[in-house]
Amino acid sequence: MKKFIIYSVLGASLLSITSCYKADNWDAPDVRVHGRVIDSYTGENLLTSQDEWKIRIWERSWEASEPNNQDLSVKQDGSYNNSKLFAGTYDMLPYGGPFWPVTDTIKNVVFDGVTQQDFTVTPYLQLIDFETSLDGLNLTLKCRLKAPIRTGLPNLVEIKPFLSLTTFCGATNNIDIGEYSNKRIQINKSWQEEVGDAETSNVYTVGPLPVKAGYTYYVRLGANVNDANRKYNYTEIVKVEVPD
Amino acid sequence: MNKKLFVYITLLGGLLFSQCRQLDLEPKGILGESELFGTEYGVKMYFAGLYNRLPIEDFVYYATGKDDGYHNTSNYWDAGKNSLGNMSGEFFNTWVSVDNDGFAYWPYARIREVNTFIQNFPNYRQNYDDEDYNRLLGEAHFLRAYFYFGLAKRYGGVPIITEVQDPLAAPEVLEVSRDTEYDTWKFIHDDLQFAIDNMTDDTREKGRANKYVAAALMSRTMLYAGSVAKYTESLGFEATELATQQGLAGMRPDQANEFFGYAVAAGKIVEEGPYALYTAGYPDKATNFANLFLDRNSSESIFIKDYSQNSPNNNILRHSYDAMMVPVPDFSSQGGSQSNVPLDFMELYDMPAYVNPDGTPVRFDSRSDIREGMEPRMRGTMYFDGDELRGNTFSIQRGIYRTFDVKAEDIQKGVNTAPINSNGNRILGGRGWTTQIDGVTYTIAGKHGSFDDTGIENNAFGSAFIRKYINPDMALADAVFYKSEQPWIVFRLGEIYLNTAEALYELGRREEAFDYVEKIRDRAGAKVVRPAIDITMTNIGTINNANYPYSIEKSLQFIRDERARELYAENHWWWDLRRWRTADQVLNQFRPRMLSAYYVADEGKYIYLEEDNRINREWTASKQSYYEPIPWGEIGKNNNLLPQNPLY
Repeated sequence: MKKFIIYSVLGASLLSITSCYKADNWDAPDVRVHGRVIDSYTGENLLTSQDEWKIRIWERSWEASEPNNQDLSVKQDGSYNNSKLFAGTYDMLPYGGPFWPVTDTIKNVVFDGVTQQDFTVTPYLQLIDFETSLDGLNLTLKCRLKAPIRTGLPNLVEIKPFLSLTTFCGATNNIDIGEYSNKRIQINKSWQEEVGDAETSNVYTVGPLPVKAGYTYYVRLGANVNDANRKYNYTEIVKVEVPD
Repeated sequence: MNKKLFVYITLLGGLLFSQCRQLDLEPKGILGESELFGTEYGVKMYFAGLYNRLPIEDFVYYATGKDDGYHNTSNYWDAGKNSLGNMSGEFFNTWVSVDNDGFAYWPYARIREVNTFIQNFPNYRQNYDDEDYNRLLGEAHFLRAYFYFGLAKRYGGVPIITEVQDPLAAPEVLEVSRDTEYDTWKFIHDDLQFAIDNMTDDTREKGRANKYVAAALMSRTMLYAGSVAKYTESLGFEATELATQQGLAGMRPDQANEFFGYAVAAGKIVEEGPYALYTAGYPDKATNFANLFLDRNSSESIFIKDYSQNSPNNNILRHSYDAMMVPVPDFSSQGGSQSNVPLDFMELYDMPAYVNPDGTPVRFDSRSDIREGMEPRMRGTMYFDGDELRGNTFSIQRGIYRTFDVKAEDIQKGVNTAPINSNGNRILGGRGWTTQIDGVTYTIAGKHGSFDDTGIENNAFGSAFIRKYINPDMALADAVFYKSEQPWIVFRLGEIYLNTAEALYELGRREEAFDYVEKIRDRAGAKVVRPAIDITMTNIGTINNANYPYSIEKSLQFIRDERARELYAENHWWWDLRRWRTADQVLNQFRPRMLSAYYVADEGKYIYLEEDNRINREWTASKQSYYEPIPWGEIGKNNNLLPQNPLY
């Protein structure tokens, strides 16, 4: 009887382990797609923050039904890279970011091996003349807004400071405390009401923001407009070292 | 032996086959359509199952889902932790935050049950007189409208199914497309209009619909639709979002007044009914307001969802509100509170000054004095220090200042680094901790918080617990899971007045609107019952100084705030923020503030200070929150449900 139990348990556990060995009949996805999202004004990569919005893709080689979109994350440096996709034909669209809507979905991009696909977008706003100044333990940030295209520009929403203790800084990575977020400048007006006919605004001053002695901060300002997504256009990131 | 066996087998075989002839008998334990639809009692049974599934955000609603938000049958005692108030920031808690995308609510199985009734009930026409027949058919339309309301407020336009679909029909027939949001709300209107026209004014069964209940639902739904039409434009979806461009998610401003008009008309019908604002508890307007939610004979209740200790546990008709909203061990005997009132909501009401004009905190002889000068409705809605419940008295204090010689704002929202809070001048502690100052021993925190060393469970963050719906007649030992049975008031006249007021104001009928506001504020005991109309435009909301993307007249904002006051903790606020299209701005890093009581040792007085919530909790809604995504699983079955809602 004892032997029977032992063998049964052994047999059952063997069975349960062998079931794990079943090989998938489909190879793991191994196709890579990468590229840049280029700011049409500067020709450089768009200033953004880590994973704040996506490149949408639809696999068109799947024809059994309307494919759901998949999302590729965009990195802080404005590039994207995904090396775990299935080979096939895809439509691609930068979606939900702080730029004028991209209406031309890029159709039928063949993903096979390594594919590079860059996009050019036109940001709603540019944040220029970014300055930081440290007065003791108070940090003040300044910038001006520039809107090359003002016809149809949604209302300005806010200008907000982002501080981080790592090089990742933006809406998705920041020190999220009231002392900082409450210092945002809320506008909620049209460009015409807020700035007037000019292409560039006056200087906005955000702060003072309390910082700690001996710490190194990475800081930037962001501004957004009331489009569907309300994502931020940013200044570059500046490193601020607070003396001990 | 062999012969015997053979005989047995033969006999057995004979038995087996002889049964076959009788197998197609009607089973006696199952009610068929003729029993259910052919008698009034049968119809009532059929409808009871549908009533239990109506999308009512009640005591047992899970705002973040857990299977189905409306119908979690296992361990549903913790619904209090997962309440809509907690999810939306109306209650401060450490448990849940904003859920933008919902839980894939999709009640077409229930809608099919209603459609089955509407389609087949005419076969039993001869069993009923005209009035009963019309009434029951009207009730079915009410039920269907309620399910569609649950869909429309989440998804906008959805497929309108009015027939019982044949599951074997061709895919082209079964794969139905979405109707526009406008058509969906119009369908709800038409169903409710049918219900109003065909049901009677028999109001004896409070848990069942009648003409006035249908009108009350009409009032709520049409106000929702009107707001969606008026304000969706401000979201900026039109430029990029296919669902909005096709009218599936959003309506046009020029469609708003039609719906506001329906809401006003429906409110007038409700007023013809035998309802009145609850005043049976006068002259104490605070107790009166609290009793309004407990009195089973309240003149204000139009439609209730009842609970009973006699119901089986798995049909979720018992609840745990009394155990889950006030702290163990003095007021509850199991679970305990995890929801407190943010200062942001307390400030909406008349409150005594706690800061002097010179900026120093007001000195109180007793902590409980904070209650003096509060609007009675506020005291009926919240419990404060000094209030009694189940034989015990609330005792709420955060800590002690050895001395306090600065302005209130010098505490810098309560941070430890502020000079006044440093060097041991501010003393905080855990439950029961004491400290000695000049030879005198003091207990640092109140008996029910705020304790500095624990989370929010049974610990006052701020200075108030929620009183609305708490049953003071329940013994302390009974305040445990699944023991509460006070009804959830689905519709009450107070809400209908506020719906009418808002719809009237939106239609430009300002003075008429404030006739209703005045009634509400008089019953509330507010200092000013009828504020002057102020047509100054503003885009700044009250809670979190929200920066709306559009401007409204200040008096309209006042009506919106009146809803927040009157309907606090009744699960309206989240839906209000959504239909006003202000959720992403009101809940734009909304960090609830706390009002904290301190003892000042060298003066022997108490002060109240405004602080940030000490664990830096914030609520943030995105623009996704205005529409939930059509469940992806449904899209997988039916591609015609595309395009998906905005931003998904």
